[in-house]
Amino acid sequence: MLALVNGKILTITDGVIKKGTVLVEDGKIKALGADVEVPSGAKVINCRGKWVMPGLVDAHVHIGIWEESVGWAGNDGNEATDPITPHVRALDGIKANADEGGLKAALENGVTTVQILPGSANVIGGTGVIVKTVPKTSVDEMVLVEPSGMKVAFGENPKRVYGVDKKVLPSTRMGVAGIMREWLYKTKTYMEKKDRFKDEPDKLPEKDLRLEALEPVLRGVLPMRVHAHRADDAITAIRICEEFGIKMSWEHATEGHRIADLVAAKGIPAVWGPGLNWRSKWETRERTFETLKTMYDAGVKIAIQTDADNGKIGFLPISAALAVRDGLPEEEALKAITINPAEILGIADRVGSLEVGKDADIRVTNGDPLDPRSRVELVLVDGEIVFSR
Amino acid sequence: MLAVKGKKVITITNGVIKDGVILIEKGKIKAIGPDIKIPDGVKTLKAKVVMPGLVEAHCHIGIWEEKIGWAGSDGNEATEPATPHVRALDGIKANADEGGLVAALQEGITTAQVLPGSANVIGGTGVVLKTAPKSTTDEMVIKDPSGMKIAFGENPRRVYGVEKKVMPSTRMGVAGVLRDWLQKTKNYLEKKERTADDPEKQPEYDLKLEALAPVIRKEIPFRAHAHRADDVATAIRICEEFDVDMSWEHATEGHRIADYIAEKGVPAVWGPSLMARPKWEMRELSYDTPKVMYDAGVKFAIQTDAVGSSIRFLPICAAFSVKHGLPYDYALKAITIVPAEIMGVADRVGSLEVGKDADLRLLNGDPLEVMTKVQKVIIDGEVVHSL
Repeated sequence: MLALVNGKILTITDGVIKKGTVLVEDGKIKALGADVEVPSGAKVINCRGKWVMPGLVDAHVHIGIWEESVGWAGNDGNEATDPITPHVRALDGIKANADEGGLKAALENGVTTVQILPGSANVIGGTGVIVKTVPKTSVDEMVLVEPSGMKVAFGENPKRVYGVDKKVLPSTRMGVAGIMREWLYKTKTYMEKKDRFKDEPDKLPEKDLRLEALEPVLRGVLPMRVHAHRADDAITAIRICEEFGIKMSWEHATEGHRIADLVAAKGIPAVWGPGLNWRSKWETRERTFETLKTMYDAGVKIAIQTDADNGKIGFLPISAALAVRDGLPEEEALKAITINPAEILGIADRVGSLEVGKDADIRVTNGDPLDPRSRVELVLVDGEIVFSR
Repeated sequence: MLAVKGKKVITITNGVIKDGVILIEKGKIKAIGPDIKIPDGVKTLKAKVVMPGLVEAHCHIGIWEEKIGWAGSDGNEATEPATPHVRALDGIKANADEGGLVAALQEGITTAQVLPGSANVIGGTGVVLKTAPKSTTDEMVIKDPSGMKIAFGENPRRVYGVEKKVMPSTRMGVAGVLRDWLQKTKNYLEKKERTADDPEKQPEYDLKLEALAPVIRKEIPFRAHAHRADDVATAIRICEEFDVDMSWEHATEGHRIADYIAEKGVPAVWGPSLMARPKWEMRELSYDTPKVMYDAGVKFAIQTDAVGSSIRFLPICAAFSVKHGLPYDYALKAITIVPAEIMGVADRVGSLEVGKDADLRLLNGDPLEVMTKVQKVIIDGEVVHSL
């Protein structure tokens, strides 16, 4: 048993405890509060003057799949050879070694849960996976949810990779939507056939790995993780998702300010970011941290993402801080890097806040977590100390 | 409620009213005439000339975004010669700062059909929308799909035959590709119907053929891009073979074949005209063509092909046509009620009539005079542009 005592505790979902204790047992939070008695025999860590909060959650990264400093040999994020690759899985491309830069950076910054997604070159890019960031012998041991979503992409990236570079479809936004609809219909037809012939094995369609991978999307079980910067691209995604009864989250949401009310009304969550990148292409020209406030005011559920390693995963708390500078309430900014992404990822029963019974993923800093001068001193994942200084 | 007073109210379909009044309620024209009493307290706008918002039957605004290059070029899915399943709707940026939409509003063009381009033999479906920006394109739409774009002549031959060395490289090839897809669609629909009671024998859902089905069922027409007379004759030949509807887009050689298309009842959407003759098939581009088509009894509208040319040129194109002999009244119709009819939205736009959408253009002078300013533009009863 482990006891973190005397720290200022940000529970995220149940306010702030000015000076309190978190008790950890068997990888879970056993108790927390101002008046928690520390059992004898517990290992005690004094957190006087320090801030104790849940490990951060980044809902959209590519760490371990675009390995740091390796070049093409370690670039496994975009199977950019065919616009439709639903059957590829991020899980099969992740290097989980302890020396992998992205994972290391995650732990040093107390980002303890991430969703690793395929990139956005393809219209349908493959499935993502949610992992804890502590390296293990195999990636499989790090997994919380797999598959966690089907990556799809709109706008400039698939247009550039296929239309401009390879001169094949899609070269336009119309083309992106067209080929996506085609595959969704193919999957629907396949599912109907499977259902119709379930008692006649001779007539069953041959197993198609691509369509099998899309099936949970059409069943409404697996959401689409929709890469789109521009508002009109998100609108096209919504149009298609509504046609097929598909769930989605809006990844990047760079023009979220333009359609905040609509996205709120549709109940679509937005995973905004990366905020600390420059405006590298036309569709990101409206990038501003003010978008987060606009979306929050409209009632959109927002998470902040770093898109690491496009942005650095260590920028997650700074991104939240800059959102506060530009009007987002502080409490909401903290939620946007903890419980909100956990909810969007469907894992809020385990991570994203300090609550009894949840995973003991804890981040201790020597100051306000939104102050860039604050240093991460201690990180626990599943009750184990995985980083300290 | 809103009232608009005009020294001259050009209704388009019902003559000109001197000192006319238009009453607007809930986005529609509630009353129009010389002797309409404006209820107390109703806001009243005044202008020398009031006319319906202009209607552009053929443009690409919002889908070829201005000044961006490839990142905003979404008009031609020029990677396969037949893409009937793509939709202009999915490629339109409806932002208020998009140059094409801004220009449309400033000039008082209030309804437009946005079509895919003409690189492909079958290019996808078009959409008719009001030009006032909304947060989503969907909210601007008044008809989707509004037609299936097809193309004849140099464009598909150049994009596929010359550049990619694939079919079609010839006019024969263009017609062959088109016939192929129409026959496939007919076979598909027949098979669907024949096996309607036997789900096991139903053909597999095919998005491309499903997109062409409304053409075969005559629910939407072909929007047939063709400059040359022989190309439109081929289009008509194919449409008659398969019993489908069409409009002739561009109609640059309309003067060569005016009697024929009048007799066939094929409407023409002539233009763009305020530009150079950039390719061989446009070498006969002339403002004499509208008069010849008019005299032959062709129903035709005038278009700018924006952003092929600027949408702001629409009234100037009508004016030049008058200079070359087109009757003044018809020139106005060719940028209002006629395109509305060709697009099947004349019950809502294109003239000032009770019950129609309150889309108005308020001017300080004659609509075909180049110096005239557009002072206010109203769409669905809302002032959307004001000098």
